[in-house]
Amino acid sequence: MKKTGILFLTVSVLLVCVFIYSAITGSIHVTPIELLEGLITGQHAQVEIIKDLRIPRMLIAMFTGAALSVSGVLLQSVMRNPLADAGVIGISSGASFFSLMAITALPQFYFYSPLFSVLGGAIACFLVYVLSWKGGLSPIRMILVGIAINAMFTGMAEAFVTICSYFNITINQSGQSNLTMKTWGDVRLIGVYGVVGLVVALFFSRWCNLLALQDKTAKNLGLRVTRMRLLISITAVLLAAVTAAVAGVIAFVGLLIPHISRRLVGSDHRVLIPFSALSGALLILTADTLGRTLVAPNEIPASTIMAVIGGPFLIFLLRRGDRLHGHS
Amino acid sequence: MDIREVSFSYDQQKDIVQSVTTHIEKGKITTIIGPNGSGKSTLLSLMAHNHAPNKGQIHLDGQALNAFKPKELAKKLAVVHQQNEAPLDLTIERVVAFGRTPYQTMRGGDKEEDERAIEWALSSTKLTEKRKVPLASLSGGERQRVWIAMALAQKTPILFLDEPTTYLDIYYQFDILELIRELNVVHGLTIVMVLHDMNQAVRYSDVIIAMKDGQIISEGQPNDVLTEEMVRHIYHVSVTIRQDAETGMYIVPVGI
Repeated sequence: MKKTGILFLTVSVLLVCVFIYSAITGSIHVTPIELLEGLITGQHAQVEIIKDLRIPRMLIAMFTGAALSVSGVLLQSVMRNPLADAGVIGISSGASFFSLMAITALPQFYFYSPLFSVLGGAIACFLVYVLSWKGGLSPIRMILVGIAINAMFTGMAEAFVTICSYFNITINQSGQSNLTMKTWGDVRLIGVYGVVGLVVALFFSRWCNLLALQDKTAKNLGLRVTRMRLLISITAVLLAAVTAAVAGVIAFVGLLIPHISRRLVGSDHRVLIPFSALSGALLILTADTLGRTLVAPNEIPASTIMAVIGGPFLIFLLRRGDRLHGHS
Repeated sequence: MDIREVSFSYDQQKDIVQSVTTHIEKGKITTIIGPNGSGKSTLLSLMAHNHAPNKGQIHLDGQALNAFKPKELAKKLAVVHQQNEAPLDLTIERVVAFGRTPYQTMRGGDKEEDERAIEWALSSTKLTEKRKVPLASLSGGERQRVWIAMALAQKTPILFLDEPTTYLDIYYQFDILELIRELNVVHGLTIVMVLHDMNQAVRYSDVIIAMKDGQIISEGQPNDVLTEEMVRHIYHVSVTIRQDAETGMYIVPVGI
């Protein structure tokens, strides 16, 4: 317990440090003192620009990381599969494709675009579930089906963009992850849906613990296992879909963070879920900050950085396949 | 518990359990035996409501199993499965506490009552000293006791065990069976279990139900059920049945 406390503190302190560093670094540079003064007084011109352009982006990066990590934890729990990640198995790209279509066809409903995302994500999740089910969910089969679903939705989104540009229809958003040009409106969007999703996930943490037992054991403890699975899946899809709508597809976060967090704080979801959220926020904020400062004025998208780190990590997990069944 | 004309199949083709009718007596240890594929574990899982019968009815205290709310059933009947899974970093105490799930409500439930039940479950299974230890550091036999403790924490009058001794060495087989007997004698639990070993069944059961091809062939007291003819009929193995002054009846296979 004490160790867990120290870990929470460490990640929180790191998050604050990275936040401050990220806020003051970039094409406009201020000192931390100037930043603080400017934020309080509202008189500092450069800080105002940072407040309008940089801070929303940072907040979105943090929400994205937290939401994707928790979505990964929930999916892994529901599918009893350590490889489940919304970005890898196509939930994010399904969500992204649907929100792309919705925004193009009905731009006036921008605030509700996450609802279309959730629909797309749910369809992808359902397809993965049904197509990889063979008397149980084998982790490897599920990931293969998921990659196919992901490829399908990514392809459909690209085709959609191409077709639309042919007809000179402006596309607000491409399927590729993009954290630039974010506004406080986007923050509100991801904030509202993201916070709801995270709170609900925390509420489900006790259920996630019980799903680690066998289904029949959980059933004998008086639980309605199918209903629990459904509700947790919906929450996971919501979290992944809202980030896909706002920040595009970022894969591997939901794989990397839960795995490392489980090593650090154990598999009790009451601790694992908040810790993953915090670490995920730290990871994506760091990735985005690095992405825009390393080769400035050019940018490397956070999703690219995650793919570079995440790809090898997935291979590492697959290589240890004997432990994929997880528990014993 | 009353089982009436119960049939069940996984694939709608071959009935794994075929119109089984029997009655489980309160306060006794009942053991279901039979060869592989005889439907004994399936019958137990039907009785535990893990599967619903295709035909027939199972009643507990005069009420059909499917009429119980899941949590209410979990307060009457606990099950220890043959194989169990849990994250290995959980402490024994945490795993046993899962047994309190049926008593938890939106507002949390009765903490003191939970604590008392967990305490009792741990002490009955002699795990009190290991309560803070992670599951990973226990042997297979000790883990089996943890699963039994979890079921005990449910505080049910009935306990089902599916092949509780199968993966254990002889020390823990004995250890677990003695524990089961103690739960029956001292705490009055009604016990139904599936066993492979006929001698263990003889020694630890009040009632034996012998199954073959999804049907009950014979049931009653061990020495009435397990005759040389019956064992040959059920298992196609010739045995000789002896009496020992200390341990009572025992069965020795002599040929196929």
